[in-house]
Amino acid sequence: MNAIPCLTIEDVATLDGVLADFLTKAEADLTVVIDRGGNVISQYGDMTVMDVTIIAALAAGSFAATKELARRIGEVEFNALYHQGNGNHIFMNSVDEDNIMITVFGRRTTVGLVRFYSAGTAQAVSTLLKGVSRNGHGFEFDPSDVMSSPVFADQ
Amino acid sequence: MSIINYASREIQFKIVYYGPALCGKTTNLGYIHQRINPENRGDLVSLATASDRTLFFDFLPLNAVVIKGFVTKFQLYTVPGQVIYNATRQLVLRSVDGVVFVADSQWEKMEENVESFKNLEDNLAKQNISLDEIPYIIQYNKRDLENIAPTNYLEYVLNNRKKRVQSFEVVSSTGQNVFASLNAVSQILLHKFSKQSDAPKTAPPVAIPVEPSVMQRQSAAV
Repeated sequence: MNAIPCLTIEDVATLDGVLADFLTKAEADLTVVIDRGGNVISQYGDMTVMDVTIIAALAAGSFAATKELARRIGEVEFNALYHQGNGNHIFMNSVDEDNIMITVFGRRTTVGLVRFYSAGTAQAVSTLLKGVSRNGHGFEFDPSDVMSSPVFADQ
Repeated sequence: MSIINYASREIQFKIVYYGPALCGKTTNLGYIHQRINPENRGDLVSLATASDRTLFFDFLPLNAVVIKGFVTKFQLYTVPGQVIYNATRQLVLRSVDGVVFVADSQWEKMEENVESFKNLEDNLAKQNISLDEIPYIIQYNKRDLENIAPTNYLEYVLNNRKKRVQSFEVVSSTGQNVFASLNAVSQILLHKFSKQSDAPKTAPPVAIPVEPSVMQRQSAAV
């Protein structure tokens, strides 16, 4: 039996509170917490900005790909990455060894402000997620809840 | 495997298509993207070179309602097959939940198949995952070509572990058994995380073949 770790409704409310506070202070549009495998853990803000699932996969890849670059200059990895666009930008920072935080922001704010507030937010998110893995909440579903028909159909 | 967010009621699974260079991993994803209901999929993202060789990975997000009360998201990835990109393969395998190993059925590709399979085992071991624990299936691709090894030989070479797994004869360019193999790995994966997760009793003794009528039609066309 393999339980899937899960964030309870209370965990999600706490996490949303932390992310909402960060977005207000940093004046950013959207923030997404992902694991380093590219899975979305939580998101908060304007979801219409982008397809979060794809951005998560690409961000995890981008973060991992620069690890070798960091090693070449004697670092273990870069703690943060910044991609500057003409109007919209992405800032990514490491939450802990398993997770990353992505922030999308526009002209209302600056990278300095986002970077400043993201450090404390990452710390709070890390503490919360470590608590989740420690408290051992696990989700298992009943076999009768799984549909027996093929998952995907060739049309 | 990700953490489940109970508020959004979403479960995410990561399935990686693994195999030697030019074996048809990207073609699998391309076919799925083309044929699945557009409402159930996102964009197919390909990070490829100018000559369409996968440089980093291909990525296709799929949605399904297969667990009561939850939206299940399957994230399909391919790895670059070329030997030099092993670091990239390790990155893509991070947090993997299920694997589709795509073997090239042509005789001259047998050594590459074996190397790639061994490489999969090694890269999983680096994440402390054993092939015996992870849901995976094997595809014998390119069954429409002339110079192919028989399936019993491929089974002997690639599916000869203590625990044999489901295998499929596939023609990814025309989509034969592409969905069958995706559905098989999805079901094994869902089974793994359900409350009574006994492994399937026995693995099928032979590879699930391409429908004979389809093969005949293809030979007639040639």
